[in-house]
This record gives sequence, structure tokens and C-alpha cells, in this order.
Amino acid sequence: MSVIEYDVIVIGAGVSGLTAGTFLAKQGLNVALVTTGESTACLSTGCIDVCSQDENPLQAIVNLPDGHPYHLIPVENIRQSLHDFQQTMTDRGMPYGGGPENNRRVLSAIGTFKTTCLTPVTMQASPQNEDEKIHIITFAGLKDFYPGYIISRLKNASYSIYDAGVATTMGIAANFEGEAFLEAFILWLEKQNIREDKIGFPAVLGLESAAAIVQTIESRMECPVFEIPTIPPSMPGRRLFNHLKDYFRCQGGAIYWGWPVVGVEKSGKKIEAVIAESQGRPNSLNAKAFILATGSFVGGGLHANRDSIVENVFHLPVFLPGKRETWFDHDYFSTNHGIGQAGVAVHSDFRPADCPWDNVFVCGSILARTETLKNGCGHGFALATGQAAAKSCLEHIR
Amino acid sequence: MKFEHCIRCTICVENCPVFRVNPAFPGPKQAGPDAQRFRSEREKSVDEWVLLCSQCKRCDMACPCGVDPAQIILRAQQKYGLEHPHTAAHLLFANNYYLSTLGSMTAPLANRFVSTEIGKKIFQRMGIATYIPFPKFSFKTLRAQKKTRSRESRKVALFYGCFINFYRPDIGRKIIQLLQSFRVDVVLPPQWCCGLPALGNGNLALAQKFAAKNVASLSNYIDAGYDVVYSCTSCGLCLLHDYQGIMDIPGAKKIAENSYNLHEYLLKLLAERGGTKPEFKEVNRTLAYHIPCHLRALKIGYPAADLMKMIPGLECRVLDDACCGLNGSYGFKKINEATAVQLGGRAVSLIRKTGAEAIVADCGSCRMQLGGLSGMNAYDPVEILCESLGIRDLKKQKK
Repeated sequence: MSVIEYDVIVIGAGVSGLTAGTFLAKQGLNVALVTTGESTACLSTGCIDVCSQDENPLQAIVNLPDGHPYHLIPVENIRQSLHDFQQTMTDRGMPYGGGPENNRRVLSAIGTFKTTCLTPVTMQASPQNEDEKIHIITFAGLKDFYPGYIISRLKNASYSIYDAGVATTMGIAANFEGEAFLEAFILWLEKQNIREDKIGFPAVLGLESAAAIVQTIESRMECPVFEIPTIPPSMPGRRLFNHLKDYFRCQGGAIYWGWPVVGVEKSGKKIEAVIAESQGRPNSLNAKAFILATGSFVGGGLHANRDSIVENVFHLPVFLPGKRETWFDHDYFSTNHGIGQAGVAVHSDFRPADCPWDNVFVCGSILARTETLKNGCGHGFALATGQAAAKSCLEHIR
Repeated sequence: MKFEHCIRCTICVENCPVFRVNPAFPGPKQAGPDAQRFRSEREKSVDEWVLLCSQCKRCDMACPCGVDPAQIILRAQQKYGLEHPHTAAHLLFANNYYLSTLGSMTAPLANRFVSTEIGKKIFQRMGIATYIPFPKFSFKTLRAQKKTRSRESRKVALFYGCFINFYRPDIGRKIIQLLQSFRVDVVLPPQWCCGLPALGNGNLALAQKFAAKNVASLSNYIDAGYDVVYSCTSCGLCLLHDYQGIMDIPGAKKIAENSYNLHEYLLKLLAERGGTKPEFKEVNRTLAYHIPCHLRALKIGYPAADLMKMIPGLECRVLDDACCGLNGSYGFKKINEATAVQLGGRAVSLIRKTGAEAIVADCGSCRMQLGGLSGMNAYDPVEILCESLGIRDLKKQKK
């Protein structure tokens, strides 16, 4: 038995877990979040993909195949989740543009376009087609970004190189937080005689103050500026994670870092506590209800054996699309691998199906039939299911 | 060693405070799992940059794959330390315990010498940074305290740690009174430096020597029915983690199973006694609670924050994103001074943003750094709890 009994423990620090935790903490519940490490949200582009199958994401959701967990949530609630998120991020000084009725495009680091729904303000000016006239600034020695890829696909693009003195994404982003560095950079930029309509940068324009830095450059250069998401370390993903995490804590939530759940205590129809690895005494935390938001394979929620897939925390039954032969498409780069459907099937109240306990709720990409890659439903899905599972959990507790 | 589990996601790099400000350090991913592939027991270490790692363990806490980069780097640091001559600063800080013993015996003299310009010059010559004042030695150490015994059923053996013993015995005395107010009997068992300063300065053998003595001493008390309580979060991490891990001390598991963080222990007592809160009186303050990196790494949550939450009128903002930069003796080395000052500046600016009037931190070295750089008061959570419970340092009252 632990020293403090929480109302709810959320397992997993991704977008869905943090959203669920924040929702419950705002209702006045005593919430703790436990996580092995930082989440895959840090590796993401920071964009909110709701559903990329159609120009209108909400319409695209309606057209998803039966059994997709999005169908468990009324469209109005999905809209509300996205609205709440935008409101939060605006309050925190990192506004997200766009709306749930329209998908938009974001230029990628290889010169292709990614379809998404809500974008951080630093990507608001991202070009919407191949013809736009853009100038790209890259940084000497930065090995995670090659403007050549973009130049080869966009005919009206050009680039120049700035020597920031360091050659890593983190190092450059940290430098941008210093006023002197930013000023020297802008002076250099002014001398470049840029004639294109927009200026693009790899996403290294600061850590905490990115929105303000982009605004400063825009007003000094009198032209729109946008960031291009990079491979990890991805600053826009980190900023998103940091904001959601800080917001959760502002609402009174507690976070236990480096806390992989390795066991559970149960009695009857209830999970009583989760147990973490420990050097000494058993390290456990008690709660009245638990929200499982551990993500899919990369996030660590699911583990694939040769012929089976297991859920790592509660060993809940996992839905499988079929035998191993059906797990993978022949084309490696296909978005239609069968294994994308694997996950935990839930009832309409986000309680897992065929589960002996009634105080467990599940949200995020661990849900069965999500197919994040195929449907382009990433963080948007996490926001919506996180809030929906939290609502069910709240009803259960009250 | 789990370096094969690394998926190269770079989340550790994003969390590394040193990497953020010092380009000479390649970051936990390269210094840890990446470089580990090229390290061989039979070849002499050439990776001098592993010494730039401050062992804050933020990478261990952030890693989603359980790689523990800091542990890999710690081993590389010990190997490097074994094979290369130590600088004066490394030697001095590794032996901090003996120096401090000497320092407090000659406290009035030592304190004056340390704060003179000549003293500072000598330190700088030896590669020791002087950007914040050295803590003042206390002539009367905590262990010189007269023993008090009563007949409570709960008995605690307090591992007070060097910082409290040599520099702030007043906090130590408050801890004893605080525990007594929870009807707990407190004894001060024979104890030595936990060994972390020696470990952090690449002197594994010395660290093991300290650790073995501590294990033998504390073990006797555990057998006699005492719980071990530590208040320094870094000592605690060392007792629980490093004694069993890199130091491989026989009997260390027993210590880990019976040792508690002070505030964790108080919460445990409260829970066992049916959750009735102590009579906390109003404390009208707004404080910024800087979470020491090693408290995070203990994985017990932030028990002092939970206790301070119970104090009426107290507003306490928890900040755990920034390392203070000092990391024990790390920032006192000239080579790390710039890193420590920059990181400290960042931590201070986050604290200022909260509008707090003062800082709270469990770790003495965090308080030294943040108080020194900001000019704000920096308290141990114990001081705040005692303020609320009306516990005053008996020594001072007598004066």
C-alpha cells in the first residue's frame, strides 16, 4: 500500500494521457501520472493530425470503417476536445492555428507535404503548394536537415546557410533563446537580400520562446516565416509535450518519472495499485481508477512476440487483425500494414472489453483498429479519446 | 548494461542540461550507449569528455526504453578515473569528507580564509570555481550533538549527510525535533560520507570504502529495529542506488529496503496513523519548490511537496524542469564553471517567473547555487515545515 491514495492514476505521458489527466485534475480530482520516460509526443512534428483522409477531418472521421474507436465519441465532443486544446495552447503562448473543419498542409524536410489539421503558430505560414516562392535558411553543419531535398521538389525555392557556431538542433535552438544571438542572426538575415515571399527554417527557432522568436523575425524581415519539422530531436514535438505537461501540473497533477509499471495489486473487480521497479522496498501507488495511455508499439504499450501481441501493464486482451501473415504489407513503406489495427478493444465507455476489472479505462493509440498511420489520426485522436476516457472515468468515480 | 536497448530517439539529449549549453559534451546518447560499443576493458579510455557529464540522471528519467545513459557514463567515468592521474580539484572534492572534518575543526579560521581574495586565488589556481561563496563550516557539527533518547516505539537512525553535518547542523537539529514531534525516537548512528563525491570525481575505490563502513554501521541499527532516514536526496540516491549498483557493496540491499526519504517517512507515519494531519499553522508565503535532480531520480514522487500542500496559506509552485547546474562538486570545478553558471541562470529565471519570494529545495548544493546566484533566500523544506509547526532551533533560542 502506498502512502498517498490518488483518485486516478494515468499510465503514460503522451498526448492522450496528459489530456485525460488534465481533464480530471481540473475537476478537482487528485491525479498522478506515471511514465517510463518521456513520450513519443516529443518525437512528433507537434502538429495535430485529426484525420487526414479527406479535406474535412470531421467528415473523414464519419467515413472511417465501422469499429474505429473514433465512432465511440460524438462529433461534437471531438470538436470540443480540439477547441479546448487550442484554447489551452493560446493561453500558454503557443497558439495553434487551423480548425476542425479543414485539413491543411505542412512542408516536410524532404520537400513533400504532410496533411494535418491544427498547426503550431510557427508553421502557420508553411507553403500550401509547390509553386510558392520560398527561401530556406539552414545552419552550417546541421546534419539533420538538408535543404537540397526541398529545392529538388519545389521549383521556386532557394537557400542560404548561417553559421550558428554549433551544429545540433538542440544547441541551435538553445542559442536562439539568447537575445544577442537572435539579434546577430537577424542582422545577417537582413543582409541576405531575400526576394522570395516567405522564409523557411528547420524547426530550431528556440525552445520555450519559439512563438515570440518567429514573430520577431517576421516583423523585422516584413515577411512570413515558417518552421519545417525535422527528424528527432524535434523541437515542435518537445514544445507541445512541455506545454501539456506543465499545464497538467498547473492543474495540480503529479508526475512520477522513470516509473515503469511492472506489476499490479488487485482485489475482486478492482485494480488497487500499480507497482514500479525498485531498488529496495516495493514501490507502489494506489488509486480508485486507472487510465491506460501507454501508446502502441513505439510508445511501449504493446509488445509483439512471434505469434502474439501483449499489452504490457494489465495484460489486457489484445485485438489482432489475424494470423502473422496478415500483419505486414509487402511494401515496407505502405501505410496499410495489418498490425496497425492491433490494440485493446473497448466498450463505448472506454472500458476494455473482456476485462475482469471495472476501474480501468483506455485511451490513445493503444486502442484497437486505430490505424494511426493509415488514417492520419495522431494527436487529434489522442486528444479526443483522452478526454472521452477521462469523462467515463469521472462518472465511475462519482 | 542495457545500451543495446537504445532506439536513438534522442529524448535523453533533449533533457541533458549540459548538452544544452556546452557543445564540448556530445550528449548522453553519444557519451552513453553510442560510445559504449567502442569501449573495451583492454584498452585505455580516451573519452575525456565523459567527465563533462554532471550525473544529474535526467537522461535516465527521460529514457523511454530503460537504457539508463547516466549509468553507462558513470562507469566510463570510473574507468577513466582509474587510468588517468586526477587533477587537484578532483582529488580535493573526492576527499571532501576529510577536508570538511578539518574545515569545521578550524571553522573560524577556515571560513575566513575561504572568503579572502588570496583564498579565492589559490582555489582558482587549483581549478576550483569561486563564482558563488563557499558554504560556511560550522564549528559544532551535528554529530557532536548530545544524544537524546526517549521510549517511543518508532526508532529512526538518521543519515544526516555531510552538508548538514558540517555546514548546516541547525537544519539537522530541526530534523530531529521534527521527527520527535511525530513521536519518533532519533539516534545519530556512526556514519561517514555517503561516497557520492568520491564517485563523482572518479574515485570508485574511495567511494566503496565509505560505503562499506556505512553499510556495516546502518545494518546494525536496522537489525535492532531502526528505520534509516536520510534527508539529503543525493546521499539517499547513493545509498539506495549506487551501493547496490556500481559500488556492489555486500548487504546494500538491506539498506535500500529500510531507508526512507525524510518526507516520505513523515507521510508514511501520517498514513499509518489514520491520516490525521499534524497541526500546521498558517504560513503566508509564496515559494518556488526547486526539485533537485536526484529527488526525481529516487522515483518516490515529491513527498515534501505533498506535506507542504497541507500547510494553510502556503503557496508552493513545483519546478522540476531545470537542473540548478552545480551538481555537488561539479560546478565548483573551473572547467565546468561556465556550464554551471548558465544552467543556474536559467533555473533562477524560471523561479523568478513564478513570482515567489523565496526558494525551497531539499538539496544543500541546489540551495547554495540558487541562493547564491539569485540573492533570494533558499530554504530546506524542513525549515518551512518547522516554521508551520512552531519548531525552533533550540540552540539559537538559548542565545
